[in-house]
Amino acid sequence: MDQQTLTDDEIVTAVLAGRRQDFEILVRRYSGKIIHFITRMTQDRDEAQSIAQEVFLKIFQNLPYYRKENNFSAFIFKIAKNMTLNWLNREKRTILFSRLLGREFNKAPFRQEPPRVSPQDQKERESEITRNLLLLAEEQRLALILKVYLEFSYKQIREITGWSIPKIETLISRAKSRLKKNILLQERSHEVVYTARKK
Amino acid sequence: MNCKKVSRLLSIYQDRELTSALERQVEFHLRDCHACRSEWDGLQELVGSLKCLPPPASDPYFPTKVMAGLQDNRAAKFRLLPAIAYALIFLTMFLSGFFLQLSYNNTMGAEKPKAATFTAVLLENQDLGLLAVHDNTLALFER
Ligand SMILES: [Zn+2]
Repeated sequence: MDQQTLTDDEIVTAVLAGRRQDFEILVRRYSGKIIHFITRMTQDRDEAQSIAQEVFLKIFQNLPYYRKENNFSAFIFKIAKNMTLNWLNREKRTILFSRLLGREFNKAPFRQEPPRVSPQDQKERESEITRNLLLLAEEQRLALILKVYLEFSYKQIREITGWSIPKIETLISRAKSRLKKNILLQERSHEVVYTARKK
Repeated sequence: MNCKKVSRLLSIYQDRELTSALERQVEFHLRDCHACRSEWDGLQELVGSLKCLPPPASDPYFPTKVMAGLQDNRAAKFRLLPAIAYALIFLTMFLSGFFLQLSYNNTMGAEKPKAATFTAVLLENQDLGLLAVHDNTLALFER
């Protein structure tokens, strides 16, 4: 059977029946999203890779507990969320002290991506957004990232986090207002400086 | 619908999570209200900015690495290795300090043996955290 047409649940059944190698289909299917999620949460590209590896090992170990209801995505993101929050708790001090002081931004993620604006502007803009995302309260950041970057619906976010829909609405809305205030203000002030310099 | 209510719903509207009836009411309000319209533009601009962070470049070997990790049944055993290694380091440092003190006391002859003193050393690896190291061993490193 074509791998592409198999549902997640069918693959899980096969893996649990002893076809361990089929787990790779699931890894290929979801690794991009999982790594994207962890990268956005931690803002550390290298760490995200190694956390993601651990996440997939954990997913494999927990497959027997998965109830096949076509919600494999929620199942694995729940695991990814828990492991990422654990990592963040462990690293909180380091992140606060070195990241927020701006020391680690030179080895910031995403520098390999092709710049769309001029390289300097784009890099500055990205690290500004990155820094502001890290400044959000953890729950706000989690909800916003699941919505904006992973494009999950509120219902899916509820499955992953266990939060109520009104709580999710509030967290995302507050995260946006906070970011709007910070990022847009900063961008405008840069523009003012830039146009002033041009004159 | 008044501005206060629209303002509260804008983020949900943007996430396309409103019922179609509410959606229509918000749209209707936005057509006429300047203040809400500019708030809406700000939100759109913000999400546009957020989306300019590209997804991280994917590592084509990632799935292979994960599968290799699964195949490797010895992985669990290897996890014990650092702990054993640290225990050995600790033992070596402790004993070397102890023997140093013995030889020191022997050469000084009459002097009363000092009580053994230890200093806590913070390891970078947080798994073990602190090691008590015999002060004589530390003296070795200070030289
Ligand atoms: Zn209005």
